[in-house]
Amino acid sequence: MSFLELKNITKRYGPLTAVGDVSLSVEKGEFVSLLGPSGCGKTTTLQMIAGFVEPSAGTIRLDGRDITRAKANSRGLGIVFQSYALFPHMTVFDNVSFGLEMQRVARGERKPRVEEALSLVHLSPYAKRYPRELSGGQRQRVALARALVIRPPVLLLDEPLSNLDAKLREAMQFELREIQRKVGTTTVMVTHDQAEAFSISDRVVVMEAGRITQIDQPYRIYEHPETEFISRFVGKTNLLPGKVVTATGAGATVSLAGIAVPVETADLSVGETVTLCIRPEKLHLTAPSSGLLTGRVADRFFLGSQWLYHIDGPVGTLMVVTPNDGSTPAEQGAPVGLEWSPSVVRVHRGAMAEAPDVALEVTG
Amino acid sequence: MTRNGPVALFFHTLVVIFMLAPLAIVCLVAFTPENTLSLPTRGFSLRWFQAVFHHPDFVQSFWNSLWLAVLSATLAVALAVPASLAVTRWEFPGRGFLNALFLSPLIIPHLVLGVAMLRLFAVVGATGSFGWLVAAHMVIVTPYVMRLLIAAISGFDRSVEQAAYSLGASEAIVFRRVTLPMILPGVTGGWLIAFINSFDELTMSIFITSPSTVTLPVRMYMYATESIDPMMAAVSALIIGITMVAVLLLDRVYGLDRILVGQH
Repeated sequence: MSFLELKNITKRYGPLTAVGDVSLSVEKGEFVSLLGPSGCGKTTTLQMIAGFVEPSAGTIRLDGRDITRAKANSRGLGIVFQSYALFPHMTVFDNVSFGLEMQRVARGERKPRVEEALSLVHLSPYAKRYPRELSGGQRQRVALARALVIRPPVLLLDEPLSNLDAKLREAMQFELREIQRKVGTTTVMVTHDQAEAFSISDRVVVMEAGRITQIDQPYRIYEHPETEFISRFVGKTNLLPGKVVTATGAGATVSLAGIAVPVETADLSVGETVTLCIRPEKLHLTAPSSGLLTGRVADRFFLGSQWLYHIDGPVGTLMVVTPNDGSTPAEQGAPVGLEWSPSVVRVHRGAMAEAPDVALEVTG
Repeated sequence: MTRNGPVALFFHTLVVIFMLAPLAIVCLVAFTPENTLSLPTRGFSLRWFQAVFHHPDFVQSFWNSLWLAVLSATLAVALAVPASLAVTRWEFPGRGFLNALFLSPLIIPHLVLGVAMLRLFAVVGATGSFGWLVAAHMVIVTPYVMRLLIAAISGFDRSVEQAAYSLGASEAIVFRRVTLPMILPGVTGGWLIAFINSFDELTMSIFITSPSTVTLPVRMYMYATESIDPMMAAVSALIIGITMVAVLLLDRVYGLDRILVGQH
């Protein structure tokens, strides 16, 4: 049995189902992220694990014990809030010490444990300061130390990095992961930022409209998104509507606006409507009319380590990302060929849904 | 910020002078050695202050007012803390009514309240009771405390309480160690404002004080209807002094701009 287990967890507010039938098993020491757009039920799920929201149905088990109805103050979980929620009238030391005091840890033992927690987050010199005297990143660390000092079986992180500026956020991501590895605490993080979820999680749980749509390793979710929504939400992607023209046991050919494109997906049937999903970095620019299709550079954006091209072609505008290898980039308006390996094409059954700007909004 | 022109500046100066001059004059007159209300021209004297301190009625009334203000402010805070928490945080039937009820004494003239209380005291047989006087003052000062507390509680990040709760604190400990300290400026500010209002209240108190519970403003009013002598100025100067100390404290712990401008 898993260490933390959610079974058919549901939360209804009147007629509205905020979280529907969510089941999730987290192993001991694992770092799992709940990823999804706002309103997808990820925060409600976290609050049910924390004990702040009572599930309408389902069970939550921690280390074999049913904690579904247990009070939040008896669960012993460590929580880091989006707003950090530090006690403003207490020093950093007292903030961190609070949980130990509540657990009736002897005074003599408290001090070394608080100091240990503060040194873990590199804040030892700030013990006597008040939260208002600290920067955002430092407050974040205090919140982390306060949650970890009670040695919780599970650490819950609610959008822990969203209030930090971009550069600090990236640095904190790696630090968070490093600290989590060091203490080995089972961690569940809620985030809407896929880059954050991917870079530090063992597994990512993608949620959409109160339900889990995919649970997998970050790499698998990126490369093998199970639904069109996920391929849109996670990273940038090109979605191309097509029709299956030939199908064999080993693969198929899909017609995109008259251009035949080979794919490796088996069990497709001839005449089926499909949506092809190809990541921008899997497309390669070649000489005009030498690739699978030919287009024209409509726009190009310099991203430092990469170039992002918009290529107008027979199948619409495609995004192409190429590494900046120092060579001269294709000029705007220049004709280019595009090619890709059939193995990178993902096939979703059915027609394309109309929500093409989701991916652009949340590419992180 | 736009700067004031010379005309506006002149006008503001006039207003400020008009507001402060009577207070300044009363304080000056209090130091007169004469027997009449006059500006001290032949030196300063503390004789009228001495007269106040040797006047048993005024001394008695001073202690009455002080105790009345301390008790009614304290009880108002004790009532307003749970009341404002309930009104701000929970949705329940009658919430709007309760909120309006607590704030209603602000809009009822004290004269009306005085007459009403007089009747009530007669009906329940409480005429002359100090305890009922405290209760009546509580009614008047509670709205001020509620206003400040509601402002303090509205700006409160609930996740701070959740954090304490998740760390194993009981609800009582969360309140004592986290909620209360965080709304403390509102609590002390509310207490001081309640104190000042009770200490200065005249209109309602005239109706409901009895000879043994006469407050300082009522005593002054009664005294002044018969005769005006510099002792009145001395008492006024003392009240101005006490109120000023309270206001300065209020500014220190809560900030006057937050009360007057309504920021929080």
